[in-house]
Amino acid sequence: MKISLLSLITLACLSSLQAQGPLRPQVHEQEPKRRRQLIAEPGMDGAQPINNTSSLLKVNVTYQSYNLQIPWQKETSSGRRGLGVVLPNNRVLVTAQMVADATYIELELPDSGQKITAKVQAVDYEANLAVLAPNSPAKEKAFFSTLKGMEVDTTARIGDALSVWQTGRVGELIVTPMRISKVMTQGYVVENAAFLVYEATGIIRSEANSFTLPIVKGGKLAALLLRYDSKNQVATLLPAPIIHHFLKDVADGKYDGFPSLGVEFQITLDEQFRDYLGLKSDAPGVFINNVMKGGSADKAGVKKGDIMISINGSSIDSRGDYQDPQFGALSVSHIVRGRSFVGDDVEIRVIREGKEVILKSQLTRKNVEDYLVLPYLFDKGPKYVLSGGLLFQELTRPYLNSFGNEQQGGPILRLQRIANTPDEFEKVGRKKIVFLSAILPTSSTQGYERMNGQVVDEVNGKKITEIADVAEAMKEPKEGLHIVKLREFPFILHLDALKVEKDNLQLLNGMFRVSELTRLE
Amino acid sequence: MKTRLLLPAFALLCGVPFFVQAAEEQPSANQAIDLTTGEWESVVNIDCSVLVPDYREPWNAGQPSGGSGTGFLIGKNRFLTNAHVVSNATKLVIRTTNDPQPHPARIVFVAHDCDLAIIEAEDGTHFEKLKPLTFGGIPKLNTELIAVGYPIGGDRISVTRGVVSRIDFRPFSHTQVDSHLAIQVDAAINPGNSGGPVLQNGKVVGVAFQGFNGRVAQNVGYIIPVPVIQRFLKDVSDGHYDHYVDIAITDFPIENSAQKKALKVGDDGIGVMVADVEPAGSVGTILKRGDVLLAMDGNPVLNNGLIRFEGELMDMNEVVERKFAGDKLKLAYQRDGKKEEIDVELKRFDPYVKLGSQYNQRPRYLVYAGLVFQPMDRDLMDAHQIHDPAANYLFDNYLTDKLYVERPEPVILTSVLTDEVNTHLAIYAHSVVDEINGMKIKSLKDVKEALSRKDVKESYVVIKLLEKGRPLVLKRDFAETAHPHIMQTYNIKEDAYLGDQ
Repeated sequence: MKISLLSLITLACLSSLQAQGPLRPQVHEQEPKRRRQLIAEPGMDGAQPINNTSSLLKVNVTYQSYNLQIPWQKETSSGRRGLGVVLPNNRVLVTAQMVADATYIELELPDSGQKITAKVQAVDYEANLAVLAPNSPAKEKAFFSTLKGMEVDTTARIGDALSVWQTGRVGELIVTPMRISKVMTQGYVVENAAFLVYEATGIIRSEANSFTLPIVKGGKLAALLLRYDSKNQVATLLPAPIIHHFLKDVADGKYDGFPSLGVEFQITLDEQFRDYLGLKSDAPGVFINNVMKGGSADKAGVKKGDIMISINGSSIDSRGDYQDPQFGALSVSHIVRGRSFVGDDVEIRVIREGKEVILKSQLTRKNVEDYLVLPYLFDKGPKYVLSGGLLFQELTRPYLNSFGNEQQGGPILRLQRIANTPDEFEKVGRKKIVFLSAILPTSSTQGYERMNGQVVDEVNGKKITEIADVAEAMKEPKEGLHIVKLREFPFILHLDALKVEKDNLQLLNGMFRVSELTRLE
Repeated sequence: MKTRLLLPAFALLCGVPFFVQAAEEQPSANQAIDLTTGEWESVVNIDCSVLVPDYREPWNAGQPSGGSGTGFLIGKNRFLTNAHVVSNATKLVIRTTNDPQPHPARIVFVAHDCDLAIIEAEDGTHFEKLKPLTFGGIPKLNTELIAVGYPIGGDRISVTRGVVSRIDFRPFSHTQVDSHLAIQVDAAINPGNSGGPVLQNGKVVGVAFQGFNGRVAQNVGYIIPVPVIQRFLKDVSDGHYDHYVDIAITDFPIENSAQKKALKVGDDGIGVMVADVEPAGSVGTILKRGDVLLAMDGNPVLNNGLIRFEGELMDMNEVVERKFAGDKLKLAYQRDGKKEEIDVELKRFDPYVKLGSQYNQRPRYLVYAGLVFQPMDRDLMDAHQIHDPAANYLFDNYLTDKLYVERPEPVILTSVLTDEVNTHLAIYAHSVVDEINGMKIKSLKDVKEALSRKDVKESYVVIKLLEKGRPLVLKRDFAETAHPHIMQTYNIKEDAYLGDQ
């Protein structure tokens, strides 16, 4: 797994007043009151005592991911150092990236250097957020005695001034200014979901523990740093509304995650297309071209070809945006993902065959396990079955990404295509794509060594819909033979069942040092 | 099937087809060549003016260019050379070593799949007295030969010397998808040598045709051996070239004991597994996946797909290579343990041709209201640098996933000549066209027919693309009004070229 570390540049520290002075905050004209507040903001941050780090902790993580191509092995372990934001109840907020594949987590007081071990209490890799809790209740009280929980402030708007908080060598607070220039939706670190982000401009210094930096407004948490483009001095921030949503969801003890609508739509700016669809020139709406099976929209009864004109009363324009009271034009996905929770009622208005139809349902979320091709895989090893030297795996995005951009010819390109067009495989009842990821040289695989990347259709007459089917099917050879049917050339492989048994023992004890022949969970 | 198996190998061959010069080997290695005798007048320089087709602006004539290669007299006013020397020619001129006169010439036969061509002088009288070169056989490894021709480095005839390094099936880089027997030599073979004779004991043993880029390998040149040349000469002896035939199956070696048991193959080393069969190929309705091919024309096929042929172990495809369209091939195979024999009539397997470079063809296209439609082939994919996922999938898996069955000639919306009528559609360039006005598009000709078709909403033209979320919609009257204006603005004289037939 690759985590993009922040690339920071070192520049002279500017006081927030100096940096923000020349900038005029961009404000909503209809809210003159707000303007005054904004202008007051930089002064507030700059006036804060510079040694106040009572809400920040250093978080040190050792992590180790699995080898995606040799799934029984783990990669070299490595470390990440970042900052955590202290929450009430002695919990600590960090990005999920920070703790992905963690083997050891510790919290450190910035000034005294005192440490305590911690564990992940809740994590959402799509929203890129995690809450940490100390391991030892006995030490917890003393450790947190000097710390103060930070509140989350969801009120930031375009044009607002914010501060990036960092800690220096002995725990002193380093404050640098930022200003929100744009608000939009974007993917965070995994590819399957877009969330609200703030884009802010300003300089971020390179300091120790720069992974996961808090962005503060008036002493309250306004965002976490998601990524920073040092060349253009543009920071992408994971904003408070999403943090708030996450913490509220965690607080009830059962984490449901961020709901999604489950549709793909097309913009309707093209006038001839609008005419064809029967849309008036000033009418709102987008063209639904795909409805995800089992998703919120599907449950509500949205169909391919519908014109979606509103969600929960918010009108959708021809670009697929709605007017957010706080941020202005924003992708409609935020109404569902950012402003609603799983189980909330949703009302979708569509135009179908010229008539307006009101559709209702409860919002759901597509769980990561429900994807045909897992969009991400953290904290656990890839599933596999190794039998006689044939290595069966379930296709995942991380597996495809592990080849980088160079080796994407042949089988990888073909598998990538499957990952991009899951519908046709889900239609025929596949839950996962099982494929031959490698063939180890054994006596049972003589003649098959150079193959890889074929999708497995059938083993010993049993249809393969997920990896567990392979493990079951391999228990039932026919007349001493295993028959593996593939979707691609050479379409069929035969293995000698007795030799497979012998080779399996060899694989466990021999030079490949395979620890387990299967991982099904 | 030979074409598919050879594609990966081709990636390694950075070879440029060379206009090669033929060398003549004399009985004595050191015998001097006397150019004044006229003996060498039958090895000629071919100067070729070409128009390189423009697949981006298919209505244009193309880019004028030119090149020079070698050819040699093989009969009365018949010169053999490489197809790539004369490909896309607009004008050919023959010159000899001792004659200052340029002789205009023309193509008689051209075979791109084996990179050979025959040309003739428009007025052959000058060459009547010259003695044609004669053919030898397949030279032995490590025997000397010379390449004669007009390569770069000067204007006069040149001779280089080397030995036979290897005899093997090789990809021919002219089309990029064909493979035949080729002989590797270490005689210097350079641009300009192409089409020239390679001689041993005064007889032609090959036609120099390609080599490696000097940064990749040294002293590796390739010549087309006599069996390939003679197959070409025999094919055209009836007045037209019928191309190679293909059995169009993919074999998989039988090495695994379980595989032997399952396929009921004995321990005699005979039989190769038929892993895939092209439905449009010669045996598409005869062989099935999982059959075991036992023999071709009574010649046993070994477990690894090789066959003993003329004393040498060769790819079994060599048996098919020597045959002609309509010839019979006797196949022995085994299905479910039962032996079968059948005579099959061999034919050309067309679909793979699109995956290679094509020549002497005017690009086909159709323009409608600024939308440019073109048939998918390698030249098009390269010229437009197409990276659309659906188009790339279709091209890369055209054979492997048998996509040619459903869509013999996929059509791509290659570009949008922007105008008010289509300004929202420009982002859809490079998409594969699936349907127009409710009609499935299987070839470029279908586009023309489908555009005039009236579907449910007849005042619209509706174009469905593969894997795009929405159809492209044009108001028919708007499109038809805009069309002539767009043609004029973008300087296009004809709104379509659909081919000669």
